[in-house]
Amino acid sequence: MSTTLLWWGLAALTLAGAAVVLLTREMMRMIIGLGAFLLGIAGLYAWFGFGLLAVAEVFVYVGGVLVLFLLAITAMGRDSDSRAIARHFDIGAAVICAGLSVVLVLALRGLLPASAPVAGVTVEKTADALLGAWLPQFEIAGVVLLAGLAAALAIVQGGDDE
Amino acid sequence: MSLLRSAPYLVVLVPLVVAAALAAGIRVWGRASAWVALLGPLTLLAVGVASLGGRTSGSLTWLRVGERAIVVGYNTDALAAVMLVVVGVVAACVMVFSIGYMHGDRGYVRYYALLSLFTAAMAGLVIAADLVSLFVAWELVGACSFLLIGFWYEKPSAAEAARKAFMVTRVGDAALLLGMAVLWRATGSLDLAVVLGKAGSMAPAVVTAAAICVLLGAMGKSAQFPLHMWLPDAMEGPTPVSALIHAATMVAAGVFLIARVWPLFAAAPASREMALVVGTITALGAATVALAQRDIKKVLAWSTISQLGFMFAALGAGAWQVAIFHLVTHAAFKGLLFLTAGSVIHGSGTQDLREMGGLAKRMPITAACWIAGAVSLAGIPPAAGFFSKDLVVSSVLHSAPWAGVALFAASALTAAYAARATRLAFFGETRSDRPAHESPWIMLGPLVVLGVGALVLGVVGGPLASDLGTAFEPLSLPIAGTAIVLALVGAALGWRSARPEAAAQELSDSWRGLTRAAFSGWGVDAFVTRFVVRPATAIARATDAMGDRLLIDGIAEGVASLASRVGGLFAEVQSGDGQWYAALMATGVVLFIAAAVWLVR
Amino acid sequence: MTTLVLACVIVAAGLYGVLTRRDLVAVLASVEVMLGGASLLLVAYAAAGTTPAAGQGYALFVLAVGAAEAAVGIALLVSLVRRGRSRTDQITEVRG
Repeated sequence: MSTTLLWWGLAALTLAGAAVVLLTREMMRMIIGLGAFLLGIAGLYAWFGFGLLAVAEVFVYVGGVLVLFLLAITAMGRDSDSRAIARHFDIGAAVICAGLSVVLVLALRGLLPASAPVAGVTVEKTADALLGAWLPQFEIAGVVLLAGLAAALAIVQGGDDE
Repeated sequence: MSLLRSAPYLVVLVPLVVAAALAAGIRVWGRASAWVALLGPLTLLAVGVASLGGRTSGSLTWLRVGERAIVVGYNTDALAAVMLVVVGVVAACVMVFSIGYMHGDRGYVRYYALLSLFTAAMAGLVIAADLVSLFVAWELVGACSFLLIGFWYEKPSAAEAARKAFMVTRVGDAALLLGMAVLWRATGSLDLAVVLGKAGSMAPAVVTAAAICVLLGAMGKSAQFPLHMWLPDAMEGPTPVSALIHAATMVAAGVFLIARVWPLFAAAPASREMALVVGTITALGAATVALAQRDIKKVLAWSTISQLGFMFAALGAGAWQVAIFHLVTHAAFKGLLFLTAGSVIHGSGTQDLREMGGLAKRMPITAACWIAGAVSLAGIPPAAGFFSKDLVVSSVLHSAPWAGVALFAASALTAAYAARATRLAFFGETRSDRPAHESPWIMLGPLVVLGVGALVLGVVGGPLASDLGTAFEPLSLPIAGTAIVLALVGAALGWRSARPEAAAQELSDSWRGLTRAAFSGWGVDAFVTRFVVRPATAIARATDAMGDRLLIDGIAEGVASLASRVGGLFAEVQSGDGQWYAALMATGVVLFIAAAVWLVR
Repeated sequence: MTTLVLACVIVAAGLYGVLTRRDLVAVLASVEVMLGGASLLLVAYAAAGTTPAAGQGYALFVLAVGAAEAAVGIALLVSLVRRGRSRTDQITEVRG
């Protein structure tokens, strides 16, 4: 009972955060909303029993990406966006998105039984998997991150020849 | 001799090749084109003379439809031979005359090419042994007439006249085609020998229908009432053209056609009745109009219509050989009169009789030739016209007295307008300031040749009749005497009306009104324009606006603009807006997944 | 079941943001929302599957790549802002 309640609470947090990200005009509020969303997601991960993942999520996303966004907004003086749902296109996009959600649910319906937390997902087991069976993928992930770092530097660096 | 007789198709081939050669080298040929073109008529003359003795024929199967076949062929019997000689002589005279008359004209080569083409077509017409070749040649003759009337095509009146000629004769041509269809249906063949052989055994209604259709076709080509309006307008063409086509040959094609298919007419009394009535009305009516004309060519045009009316009346009376005889003499004297008129126009610079006068002193040879022609036209012995016209009138008198009387009146009028025109042009005071001069010998030569013919051709009547399988009755004194008296009286009246004081006199109101009505051809042209041409043009214009422009162009342009608009719509898809593209992709994804879900359900 | 619906709704919502928002930072944020939704779904499946530990590892990968993508996105944003174009309707070169 209480797990279900917890789930609903986390879900509400997540959705509220997402809604703010989508709809608000001011950038600062959007950052807050994104933060709320990410925390909600982390909470849900934890609810499912994936503790390591939840913590990693908070560190990386909330601590890293969100701060990066915040830096971008404040350093470049991005203040506010246009009003949400301002043009016909917005309504069309809303329809498409609603349609997407419906269609996805219909497509994946049969494959997922009731959501329930799971136990026994320990850090040790994850480490075994990552550095054992999935070592190549792990290494490649490292390379990808490095490439991303280099790319970001290159993009910011170049483009002075206008 | 035997070569010419055995290859009569040369009469078509030679002028046709000449025409093609002239047309192909239209910039290259110069003055030589006239001499080359002469080969055509000379071939006709040679073959015609050679064939007067016997007949040759040949044929080939052109088209086969099931068991029925269309056979085309040629046949030079006596009738064809006579026509070949007539066409050949007149065409040759016209071509030689034109060397002088058309000298310096920009379209010199084109002129001779067209004359050659016409000669070929006319030859094809007279030697045709089946209705298909005949019709093809018939149409070709009409086309050449169109091209030659509109020879100076930059003149709008000439182009208009050519169109009118084509349209009016087209009515007749349609009737002729209908007649051919009737005959095909009734006999299963279009070969003249076959069709004419069965003429006696066809149902009366059928043969009458066919004969009347043929008659209508002949009426169109020979400018009989009510299909005569085109001939006066056709005077827009060069005068030698008028001499060849509209006096001697093409307009005679109608008479020839009826003679050619005579067994049909022999079996259909109603058609002969119709020919008689039409011919008589035309003969009399046209003569009155000719009397009121001011342009020398128009006088001759209406005179031609009238004389053709005489021929049709003779046909209607059953005497086709007489009609052919008159056709021959008419070709001589009317061709002569037209060419002489050409000489007058060339020498005096005007066509209007009121501006002429006293030309006999200035152009003696021309005047003498004209007088020979006029005497023949008026039917005064011993000119050829007297003999043929006398035979026409007497044969008509025997079959329908009322028509004979009408023709007597027409003869008197003929003499009257001939005399009037003669006096106005050649005698009296010179009314023009321009000094007239005689024409060069290249033009006078043909005049003299035709002049001699116009005077002496009376003697060929006998041999002609026997060639055509009959014998003309000898002159009967009462009829001949009446004719001569009427001619002299008419001539005197016409001469008197052309006296100088008459021009100054004011006509009384009734006379003036009458003259004006006669001048316009008794309003036939205006009537047809108002009640036939205008409605037809209006219908054509309405169809063009609604059917063509609205419907068809609308569909064509509509499809094009639709395609263009759809393309434009699709082009808007590529707006450059990334989010728009993403939206489209998302839509695609949604649809795909939905489809997959649907299919696996 | 409910997690499925939640995840799908989150993804759809993120898509709405990607399609609609004019400011580039907002677009990036919406992309993050979509990623979050997708990995939530992944986690839910893993929890119901046979080897949840592998599922956690997998989700960690997604996390890492998502972070890298955000970093590159910001870099792009910076270079665009330098040229004075910071809104989506100002970037329209690929035009038909």
